Amino acid sequence: MSDEELAKDLGLISAMTIGIGTMIGAGIFVLPGVAANAAGPVVVVSFVVGGLVAMINALSVSELGTAMPKAGGGYYYINKSLGPMFGSIAGMGDWMGLAFASAFYCIGFGQYLAVFVGLPSLTFLNPIQVGALIAGALFVGINYIGAKETGGIQTVIVTLLLSILAVFAVAGFFSFDYATLVSEGGLAPYGANAILPGTALVFVSFLGYAKIATVAEELQNPGRNLPIAIIGSVAIVTVIYAILVTTMLGVIPWPELSQDAPVAQAARVAFPASIGPLTGVAGIAAAVMTVGALLATASSANASILASARINFAMGRDKIVTDWLNEIHPRYATPYRSILTTGGLIVVFIALLGQDIEVLSKAASVLHLIVYALMNVGLIVFREADVPEYDPDFTVPLYPFTPIVGAVSSLGLVVFMDAIEIALSAAFVVVAVAWYFLYAKKHTEARGVLSDFVRNREDQLPDQVIDAAASVEPDQPGHRVMVPLANPNTERDLIKLGGAIAKHHGGTLHAVHIVTVPDQTDLQYAKEHLGEFDGDTAGVLEQARLDAEEFEVPIETHTVISHRGFEEVFDAATTHEADTVVMGWGGNSHGSPGRIESAYDEVMQRLPCDFIVMKDRGFDPSRVLVPTAGGPDSELSAAVARILRDAYDSEVTLLHVADDETEGREFLDEWAEANGLPDATLRVETGDVEAAIERAARDATLLSIGATEQGLLSRLVSDSLTMDVIDDLDCTVLLTETAHDRSLRDRLFGSR
Amino acid sequence: MAKGQFEHVLVPVASDTDAESTAEALADHLETDRVTVVHVVEKAGGAPDKAGVEQREEAAAEAFERFEETYGESVETDIVYDTNIADGLLAAAAEVGADALAFTPRGGGWFERLLSGSVTRELLDETDRPVVVLPGEQR
Repeated sequence: MSDEELAKDLGLISAMTIGIGTMIGAGIFVLPGVAANAAGPVVVVSFVVGGLVAMINALSVSELGTAMPKAGGGYYYINKSLGPMFGSIAGMGDWMGLAFASAFYCIGFGQYLAVFVGLPSLTFLNPIQVGALIAGALFVGINYIGAKETGGIQTVIVTLLLSILAVFAVAGFFSFDYATLVSEGGLAPYGANAILPGTALVFVSFLGYAKIATVAEELQNPGRNLPIAIIGSVAIVTVIYAILVTTMLGVIPWPELSQDAPVAQAARVAFPASIGPLTGVAGIAAAVMTVGALLATASSANASILASARINFAMGRDKIVTDWLNEIHPRYATPYRSILTTGGLIVVFIALLGQDIEVLSKAASVLHLIVYALMNVGLIVFREADVPEYDPDFTVPLYPFTPIVGAVSSLGLVVFMDAIEIALSAAFVVVAVAWYFLYAKKHTEARGVLSDFVRNREDQLPDQVIDAAASVEPDQPGHRVMVPLANPNTERDLIKLGGAIAKHHGGTLHAVHIVTVPDQTDLQYAKEHLGEFDGDTAGVLEQARLDAEEFEVPIETHTVISHRGFEEVFDAATTHEADTVVMGWGGNSHGSPGRIESAYDEVMQRLPCDFIVMKDRGFDPSRVLVPTAGGPDSELSAAVARILRDAYDSEVTLLHVADDETEGREFLDEWAEANGLPDATLRVETGDVEAAIERAARDATLLSIGATEQGLLSRLVSDSLTMDVIDDLDCTVLLTETAHDRSLRDRLFGSR
Repeated sequence: MAKGQFEHVLVPVASDTDAESTAEALADHLETDRVTVVHVVEKAGGAPDKAGVEQREEAAAEAFERFEETYGESVETDIVYDTNIADGLLAAAAEVGADALAFTPRGGGWFERLLSGSVTRELLDETDRPVVVLPGEQR
C-alpha cells in the first residue's frame, strides 16, 4: 500500500461509527426526559423533524466534504467560499459549539454517574456538575495523552450500544402500552406548537454527523464513503430515536420520565423483575443501560474534543487563530494546547451553565445551526462562482432548492430557541466578527471564492457591494506569487524560484494551470470535460503542490479554462491579485503565442504586477550574475538575486558596463549598497554591452537581468524581438520587469 | 572516542526537540555516508487519529528541518504511517535498505509506558538489523 493509502485508514464502518457514536449518546440517554417534559409524547415528532433538518444539511456537508476532504469540516468550507470574516464566525462557532456540546455530554455522563456512585456537591456545584467535571477532566486527559484508541474499540462500543438498545427496544415493545403514551393529556398535551421548540431542544442529538467531515482527510475513498457515512448515520439515528423515545413514553407516562437518567428508569420498568429462576433482571438491565449511557456520552464528548482540535488546526493554518494552539506535543504527538484550551472552556461551561442542561444543549445547537446555514450559502457560492477546482463526487439533489431549504431551516430552528440562547449566540457572532476585525484580519491571508466572484464582476455590481467586499478583505493578502504552469518539464524550476520568492516575503504561491480550449468549444462544456482538453491538470497541479510543500510554502492551485492561452496569464494575475508572476518562456511554455501580437502589446503595456520570465536551462542558483545600468527593472533583478542568495547561498556578481571604469565602479559600489548586495563581487567593464554580458555569463549559472526597456518583455515573449545575447548563453536567464500601473482595482482593494 | 561506522543509517525522530538531540548524538557518535530520517505517524487503524494527518505532517517537516540544521547536512527524509511505531520503523529500514537504526531513547515514565508501551523495547525485541542506541541529552 502506498503511504497515502496508509494515512487514510478510516473505512465506511469506522466513519459510520464516529457519526452514530457521537449522536446517540445525547438523543437516547440524556434528552428524552427533558424533551418529553417540555412537549409531551409529540416530542417524537420533534426528533423526526430534527432528523429531517439534519438530513438536508447532511446532503450539503456531503457535497462540500467530497469536494474538499480536508481537516476542519464546516469551517474549512466556509472560509474557502465566503472568506475569512464568515470563516471566523464559522470557526469560532464550530469550536464553541463543540465545547458547549462536550459540556452537555459531560453533564449527561454526570447524570448517569450519579446513579452509580454518590457524588458530593461542592459550593455552587451540584453533584451532577461534579460528576461532569470529573468526566470532562478525564476526557481532556485522555485526548491530551492520546491514549492509543484503536478502531476496534470504537466499533465495539457502538456495536455494544446498538445491541443494548435493541434488547431494550424488544423488552420495551412487550411492556409498551398505548394507554400509557396518551395517559396524560393525549399525544400533544401542549399542542402541535410544542413540536418545533421541542426540535430546537433535541437538535443537539444530531450534531455528530458533521464530525465525520472534520476527519475527512483520513477517510478511505471519501468520494463514496463520506456521503454514505454522513447520510447513513443521520438516517439510522433518526429511526433509532423515533423508535426508542416512543418506547420509553409507552412504558412510563411522560411527566414521570426521569430528567436525569431516563433510560435506566425505563429499563427498570420495561424488563420483568425475574425471568424463570433469574431474579433481579430489571435491576441488572437498568445497570447495563447506565453503563451504556456512560459509554455513549463518553464517546460523544471524546469525539467532540477531537473534532475541535481539528478545527483549531484548520483555523491556525489560515491564521484565523494563532498557530501556537496547534503545536504538537513532543512526546504524546497530540495537539495538546488546543485540547487544553477547549478543555478549559468545557470546564467553565459546566461550572457556570451546567445547572440547566437545556442551555448547554441549545447553545451547542444554535452555534452549529449558524455554521450549517453559512455552509449552505457557501455551497451555493461555490456552485455559482463556477470554480473549476470545485468538483464534488457527491452533489446535492434538487439544487438550489436543497441548500436554500438547509439554510432557511437551520436559521428557522434558531427562532425556536429561548431568548437566552439566542442572545448568547448573537453575542457570540458579534465577538467572532470583532475577533476577525481586531485579530484575524491582520493575520490571515485567506480569501474566499466570494470575494473573487465579486471582484470579477466589478462592473456589474453596485459600488456599495464592491466597497463592502473590500472592507472585509484581510489586510494581509501577503505577497502572492503566481506561477502559470503549462510545461511539466519546467514546472519544478518555476516553483523553486516562485517558492523562494514567496517564502522570502512570507507569502503564498498560486499555481495556475491554464487550459486552452479551441474557440468553438463552450467553456462550460470544457469545464465539465476537462480531461478531453488536458489530460493532466490534476497531475501538474499536484506536482506543484508537492514541490511547494518541499519548500514549506503555502500553495493554492487554480485551473483556468480559456479560449486564449497566454494572455490569460495577465487576467489571472489581476484576478488573483498577484504581486509577482513567475513564468516560463521559450519552447512550448505556454502553447502557441496568441493570434495577434498587438494583443500582447496592449496587455503588456500595463503589467499588472512584477514579472519574472525564466528561460530555463536548468535551475542552478549557485552563481548569479546581475548586469545593471540602473532603473527599476534591474532593481527587481537585484531583489531576485538577493532572495536567491538568502535561500541558496548564491554567489552574486554585479556587472556594469561603463564608458569610464572609475565612474562605473563608483556607480556600481553605490548601486550594490542601495540594493542590499554589498557582499557581491563587482565587475566593471567597458566596451560592448552584449559582449561583456556574454563574457561574464560564462562563469555564471544564472543570469538575472532587468528588461531595461518598457515592453521589451512583451516583444521577447511574443518572439517579435530576439536578443542574441540571451539566446547565446548556456545559463538560465531571468528577465525581470516591474509593474507599470496601479489600476482602479488597486484603489478599491489595494493594500500594496 | 572511536566512531561507529555504517554506510546507511535510518534515524527515527519524534519531534523537533528530539530531532535536535538525535542529530547531535548522531554526528558525535556515528560515521555514515547516508542518513534517512523517518517520522512515524501512528495511525489508530480505524478510529480518528490523535491529531490530523496534515497537522502531523507539518510537525514532521519541522522536525526534519531541525534535524538538518543541527546535523549540518541534508539528509533523506520519509514519513511513515503505521499503527505501530516500531513496526513502521523496521519496515522503513527494510524498504530503504538501511544498515542500522540509530536513535535516542525518549524515556518516559511508567505511566506512559503503561499506556503506549515502550517503543524502544519493541524495537530491540523485534529488530532484524543492528540498532544503535545513542545517548540522549545528559540529565
